[in-house]
Amino acid sequence: MSAMSILALEELVKHFPTKRGVVRAVDGISLDIAAGDTLGLVGESGSGKTTTAQCVVGIYPPTSGRIVFEGVPIGMAFKQRSKELKRKIRIVFQDPGSSLNPKRTIKQILSVPLQVHGIGTRQDRLNLMNHLLEMVELPPADYLHKHPQAIGGGEKQMVAIARALATNPRFIVLDEPTSALDVSVQGKIINVLIRLREELGLTYLFITHDLSLMRNVATRVAIMYLGKLCEVARTAAFFRSPLHPYTRMLLSSIPVVTDEEEVLKPKKIVSQGEIPSPVDVPPGCSFHLRCPERLPICSEVDPEMTAHEDGRVVRCHLFNGSERAC
Amino acid sequence: MGDRLLDIKDLHVGFRVFEGNLRVLNGVQLDVKQGERVGLVGETGCGKTTTVKSILRVLPMPPAQITGGRIMYRERDILEMSRGAMTALRRHELTAVFQDPLQSLNPVFTIGTQLRDIVKDSAIGRGKRLTRRAVEARCIQALRETGMPDPERIMTNYPVQLSGGMRQRICIAEALSTNANLMLADEPTTNLDVTIQDQILRKLDQLVEDKGASVVMITHSMGVVRDMTQRVNIMYAGNIVETGPTRKLLKNPKHPYTQGLMASVPKLTGEGVSDGIAGRIPNYLEPPSGCRFHPRCPYQMSACSDEAPPFFDITDAHKVACYLYGGEK
Repeated sequence: MSAMSILALEELVKHFPTKRGVVRAVDGISLDIAAGDTLGLVGESGSGKTTTAQCVVGIYPPTSGRIVFEGVPIGMAFKQRSKELKRKIRIVFQDPGSSLNPKRTIKQILSVPLQVHGIGTRQDRLNLMNHLLEMVELPPADYLHKHPQAIGGGEKQMVAIARALATNPRFIVLDEPTSALDVSVQGKIINVLIRLREELGLTYLFITHDLSLMRNVATRVAIMYLGKLCEVARTAAFFRSPLHPYTRMLLSSIPVVTDEEEVLKPKKIVSQGEIPSPVDVPPGCSFHLRCPERLPICSEVDPEMTAHEDGRVVRCHLFNGSERAC
Repeated sequence: MGDRLLDIKDLHVGFRVFEGNLRVLNGVQLDVKQGERVGLVGETGCGKTTTVKSILRVLPMPPAQITGGRIMYRERDILEMSRGAMTALRRHELTAVFQDPLQSLNPVFTIGTQLRDIVKDSAIGRGKRLTRRAVEARCIQALRETGMPDPERIMTNYPVQLSGGMRQRICIAEALSTNANLMLADEPTTNLDVTIQDQILRKLDQLVEDKGASVVMITHSMGVVRDMTQRVNIMYAGNIVETGPTRKLLKNPKHPYTQGLMASVPKLTGEGVSDGIAGRIPNYLEPPSGCRFHPRCPYQMSACSDEAPPFFDITDAHKVACYLYGGEK
């Protein structure tokens, strides 16, 4: 763990026992997020990215492994977390339609975290709420007394972001904040998030399935597949030379809109198969059933994370140890 | 032009609701030639699905009412067809794939039951009665064509036992099992992951190619349209605002709405995203006068609020409904 790191996951595991077997939602991931970074956690549905986020926020205590925030382990249950910790780590959910209470006004919604954390006097709070709405570019006079149903989807998500900012956090988990919205609305939210990160010195864990979006937002990208990481790299390097076959499959599947982007896509890897159920994970490398470049070893031994230049980490037998060109 | 398969002219569709009259489609123009793939792109609530449902005539009426326009299919007006003729048309000619396969598949019947019904019914419509074995064979073949592993087992499964990608494949198998001529694909891959989306689109592409069918691809994804279609129509608030050859149009969008949309799509080149388009889609109870985009348009002029702009030609095929391009003519 480096000195700069604000959040570190060490061999994080979260299993859910069910009648049909153990769901291995998160199955041993290790990650470092440096202060001021935006880590884009990308994966298909069912890959465990939301569970990872929920472990960080404390919604689930991890089955094993450690979560370290600012040098302190925080793997305990939510109830045991200190208020100070809850103030510092906040989350924005995917669908603002269901994460904002429809019966309350925006003012009431924003005042809850302020009251819970005992921030300011009554008058201070009102000023603070005005300031929060201004930060997300909503004129307070127009919005403070409205109900969520009276405003658009993008504006609702802005309110959810303002609510997350209310406690002056250090770290925000963004769980697919724009995937329920149209592209013309998404742009605004992304730009506000980037501006806030710079202005307030925030760190984001940005969960999404949209790689093109990550290219424009994240400083580092981590690809998740069936509860494990495949590849972690700095954004520019990641998109310049993706290594893991799954990463290349993902990238080559993106439908792009310009010729310039077409050039950037890796050579077409024909996508085949589907993500298996996390109840019975295939032996060896969990991706080997869909991998076009599988080796005999892949179905037997699960590859280790190996480090490459530029701080890139890959978990694949193709790049294990030997400096093999791709 | 005689080779037009589908030709929608000036279609107006409204919905009567408690608050008044929602004027949703406001003169939609759309044509599809035999064997052509046409895209219809727009954001949530712009009337894409209403257009598809009008073509299939499955809009619930009331509250919906078609207040004007014609939908010509092979020189016949769909809106004036008798019920029997419409059923026959749906049996042989039209087919549709919708966004949510769980809603288009019946949860209490097996895939086999549903697929057999479609195959049998479509054969009866052609005046043929298939033997049980022939029906079975055709179902299995339809499933196999969509790249489904183990079709015999899938036939005995219920929709809930399958994944989202598999369900959508079944919908595509159902849609293509009738050898229809025009396929209306309404956001067929919106709920799916990119790798699965890629598989489904390639399969769809290949099957449509093999059968020589025409496709209307409805989506909000510019990327999907670019991959799948030859011509694209951009829709905003019940109007087609721009139409043209897909790649040319996306490379060089003319309408301010299309430009705004293209700028807000995040790109792999990583130059950041634009702020998007300010404001939101209008309320259909009282849509803006003139061009429906003018309250959000950065280039609005006085003419924009007076009268809706007609189509102006950029090139032969590329047309744009915006006064900015009216000067040259």
